Amino acid sequence: MIAIKSAGIRSFIKTAFPFIIIPVFTILGSALFDSGKHLIISLGVAVMTLLVFVSGYEKKKTGTRRMVIASVMIALCVLGRFIPVFKPITALTIITGMYLGGETGFLVGSLSAVISNIFAGQRPWTAFQMLSWGLIGLIAGLAARPLKKSRVLLLAYGALSGIAYSFIMDIWTTLWYSGGFDTAVYLSALVTAVPYTVSYAVSNFVFLLFLAKPFGEKLERLHIKYGV
Amino acid sequence: MRGFRELNPAVIAVYYLCVIGTAMFIMHPVIITLSLVGAVTLYITIDKKRKAGLHISFFLLFLILAVINPIWYHNGVTVLFVVNDSPITLEALLYGVFAAAMIISVLYRFRTFSMIMTADKLMYIFGKLSPKISLILSMALRYIPLMRKQTEKVRSTQKALGIYRGDNIADTLKGEIRIFSIMATWSLENGIITADSMEARGYGAQRRTSFSLFRLKVSDAVFLVLCLIPTAIVITAAVMGETDMTYYPALSAVTASPPALASYISYGILSFLPSILEWKEVLRWKYLISKI
Repeated sequence: MIAIKSAGIRSFIKTAFPFIIIPVFTILGSALFDSGKHLIISLGVAVMTLLVFVSGYEKKKTGTRRMVIASVMIALCVLGRFIPVFKPITALTIITGMYLGGETGFLVGSLSAVISNIFAGQRPWTAFQMLSWGLIGLIAGLAARPLKKSRVLLLAYGALSGIAYSFIMDIWTTLWYSGGFDTAVYLSALVTAVPYTVSYAVSNFVFLLFLAKPFGEKLERLHIKYGV
Repeated sequence: MRGFRELNPAVIAVYYLCVIGTAMFIMHPVIITLSLVGAVTLYITIDKKRKAGLHISFFLLFLILAVINPIWYHNGVTVLFVVNDSPITLEALLYGVFAAAMIISVLYRFRTFSMIMTADKLMYIFGKLSPKISLILSMALRYIPLMRKQTEKVRSTQKALGIYRGDNIADTLKGEIRIFSIMATWSLENGIITADSMEARGYGAQRRTSFSLFRLKVSDAVFLVLCLIPTAIVITAAVMGETDMTYYPALSAVTASPPALASYISYGILSFLPSILEWKEVLRWKYLISKI
């Protein structure tokens, strides 16, 4: 499916952003301003990266069905967020990426962040959440074949992505608080976030353990029957 | 001019970008104080529930964030007191207080942003960039209540069949998993039906027009100007170095040069603009009621 309608804007984003604007923005930003402004620069880069990914949706023939199924998966992710402590959102994103492809995985991960934040309240770090969940889905899509084959690998990927998610979000916390990256603050942020990190990793592990096979079968069936 | 909440969503988004961007960019005591007071004022103005819980939790967070910095950093020349052989300095404490105030003000801004930017407005903004992503968002939002309703139906059915009994944890869990599985199948099938029905009605056949309630009116343009000019002044003063502030080793004095003063006044206008618009609406309403 094509996310951005105008072909001109799409090709502009695709060529100018990754090769010219983002590098220039990053280098100029870190050279001109002191480390207190790195936060804004990182936020800007996150937003632009999201735009680059969105402009990459080009294939014409993915069709309405896949689009609707993506929105169904997003709704399931958001509904799962109301379970206390354990959140299935990453696990469902990984499953979507594996069975419906990386593009859809990225879409489901990033848009789930937006929608669940409509209920929980938008925060400054929404863009980072979108990017990290989207990437988790995208990587799951790229590594779909080995992940489908080996259950151990899948569970390891789930647990690892939970830890990675927490680590990435803590970079943001550090930048925000101490204005500039500070290893001591980062480490203490990691330590205080340990309960969250564990809950992310465990919930990804548990949900993938129980959901991957039945959910995979359902999506596989959808693929065979309707060609999604 | 309309109230702040009735403005075009794109204009509101630009306003938030300006006000938060500049506050995060400039670690200056005056600017941060203005930002915090403005953010809290707007929150109190539009919050109808008037609960103290949020303010208390934000205040506690503020205290924690303010205290972390002097415990961690010991640079600065004015030593207040010494704890465990490590000096607690005034400069580090002040830096912590202002960094915490900046974070809390941004958190308040985002609270009001969530209250003002309802789902339909967010969809409008996404739709400007990509109609398809906006459609996916709106469908996902519609599926959430639909699935909740259907889950209740499935749950009652299971109960009536006697399959799902909640007298022990293993049973309850099994029942919940079965309900989730049923729901997943149902919603995926339902999605396919929706997609086919959309295609049967011509979705994706050719260019489509879209309708939205939001128009760009004169008052939007006026607000945009009122928001962009102060931002430009603040940014210019910051680039000129007029609002630079050093905290270590010793605190620099707050400058009162004409450009710095201009940037304080501009930021004050920027920070209080939405609250003023909202108060104006309230006053107008009261005036109209009094005339009846």
